[in-house]
Amino acid sequence: MIEILDLARSAFADFKRSKMRSFLTALGITIGVFSVVLLISLGLGLKNYIEQQFESLGANLILIFPGSGFTGQGFGQGLIGGAKFDERDYATLKRVQDVDLISPLFMKSTFAEAEGEKAQITLMGLDIDSFKLMNVELVAGELLKKSDIDSRSKKIVIGYSLAENLFKEPEKGLGASIIIEKQRYKVVGVAKKKGDREADNGVFMSYKTTFSSLNSDKTFFAIYLGTKSEENVESVKKGAETALLKRYDKDDFTVSEQAELLGTFNQIFTVINSILIAIASISLIVGGIGIMNIMYATVTERTKEIGIRRAVGATERDILVQFLSESVILSSLGGILGLALAAGMVLIIRIFFPASMNLLSIIVALGISCVIGIFFGVFPARRAAKLPPIEAIRYE
Amino acid sequence: MIRLDNVSKTYYLGDEQVHAVDSVSLEIKDKQFVSILGSSGSGKSTLMYLVGLLERPTAGKIILDGKDISKLSDDELSKIRNRSVGFVFQSFNLISKYTVLENILLPTKYAKSKLDFNPMDRALKLCKDFGIYERRNFFPNKISGGQQQRAAIARALILSPKIILADEPTGNLDSKTGDEILSILERLNKDFGVTVILVTHEKEIARKTKRQIYIRDGRVVQKYL
Repeated sequence: MIEILDLARSAFADFKRSKMRSFLTALGITIGVFSVVLLISLGLGLKNYIEQQFESLGANLILIFPGSGFTGQGFGQGLIGGAKFDERDYATLKRVQDVDLISPLFMKSTFAEAEGEKAQITLMGLDIDSFKLMNVELVAGELLKKSDIDSRSKKIVIGYSLAENLFKEPEKGLGASIIIEKQRYKVVGVAKKKGDREADNGVFMSYKTTFSSLNSDKTFFAIYLGTKSEENVESVKKGAETALLKRYDKDDFTVSEQAELLGTFNQIFTVINSILIAIASISLIVGGIGIMNIMYATVTERTKEIGIRRAVGATERDILVQFLSESVILSSLGGILGLALAAGMVLIIRIFFPASMNLLSIIVALGISCVIGIFFGVFPARRAAKLPPIEAIRYE
Repeated sequence: MIRLDNVSKTYYLGDEQVHAVDSVSLEIKDKQFVSILGSSGSGKSTLMYLVGLLERPTAGKIILDGKDISKLSDDELSKIRNRSVGFVFQSFNLISKYTVLENILLPTKYAKSKLDFNPMDRALKLCKDFGIYERRNFFPNKISGGQQQRAAIARALILSPKIILADEPTGNLDSKTGDEILSILERLNKDFGVTVILVTHEKEIARKTKRQIYIRDGRVVQKYL
């Protein structure tokens, strides 16, 4: 068996003899691998990006709504019929294992007045964990404390857009008084802009404070749960369901999870990305045909050499292996170049988008270029191997 | 020993049948120095390639050392070509991208069983024997025709074959260089006991061999023992 080193040497001697041609041939594969790897990287980046967005809403969030019709689109159906959650349910759910964060949520659409301005608001009665569950951060002031919740204090945190509407400059809202349904509240914190209309026009106050007049029947619109580890999400969901089933029917409430939404998004983007990669793969096939074309030309040019090798004892298999290894080397070099270019491109893209390359895309790139080298090289190599030795050696 | 029994080789040129070799029977004993003599197109080269296993007969049997080789597989034929036969061509047929030394070593790359000698040592010794040691790292197009032919003979000899087949080995050389090549072949036969089969169209060259086989239109017309 002729050694691999000899094969590589022979191949490189030929590439050197026709540098430009070998380069152009490999370039076809380079472009194909470049586009495929880049698309895989962008797909991964997009996935990372979406996950980051969801994490900003609070990861491992479990939402419990009344009713069975919650679709993730709106809350309307959830509000019709079903359970009316109250403090007893809140207390029950607090005891579920692995619940690290929990808050009830009372929501009401109403109006707020301050300094002669009037604005529509989303009033939210909640517990302190809410700020973590919904990732509320402040531009000024402070969040509500546990003592504020329990003492039914009239302190509130307001959303960025609301502060802008009422006080022109959001920071100026700090310490101001706001009147909601004839009651006066004091702004202790202004939240950062979240890009979510309800939260940005929100007024956050203790859920216990709402009990006095805003929420006289003392029920909640939803209860949010959070768990630190993703692995616990399923068990917390189960736990919450079991706990609530003691009081309600199965159809009276819905336990949903953010990951389900995330999963749907991921599914859609995976499909789009796969289609793009499939389209880019066409260029790999075109590159492969380029290799095949050049290998056929090479076989013809080197007919005499094939004859000489056969005369000194090369078998058909030896010739096959020789030409096959040349096309594989050529196509792999093209693949490595394409991979390097894609890596460079990913580094540039990372400046503004979290594109990333994983081991899989490297293996896929090199594997595919090898396979293309074999697939498109095998036909020319077979022709070389099957040349009648006598005709080959007489070829001029 | 090589024996041909009613060996024929027929080609098709378009619709036309060409009987390059037509029912030839002959025997070449070990250690003979034989020439196959014939004009261009007489079928002498085809006959040589049949003996050298580069060509399969259309009919008849070729027996090499008591073994019918007309039915062997490509792998087996290649192995015999590799170990038992050495070719010397009119146009030298060195591979142009390899140096003289690499060309001489080429058959050893295709040896399927382990060699009982160091190929590089033997290649260098052959270079010295044939006066091309100084040129061993040159590419074929940088050395003279005589040197190229000597490199080709060295390549043919590296695996110590029993038979050397030389197809018009002096055809591309001037008469002085040609004579040198012939005397090398003669010495191989006399001193080392290699069977040498020389294909030529020149009677004068054929006369240097102990036995001549005349070929015309693919048939043996006259033979001397």
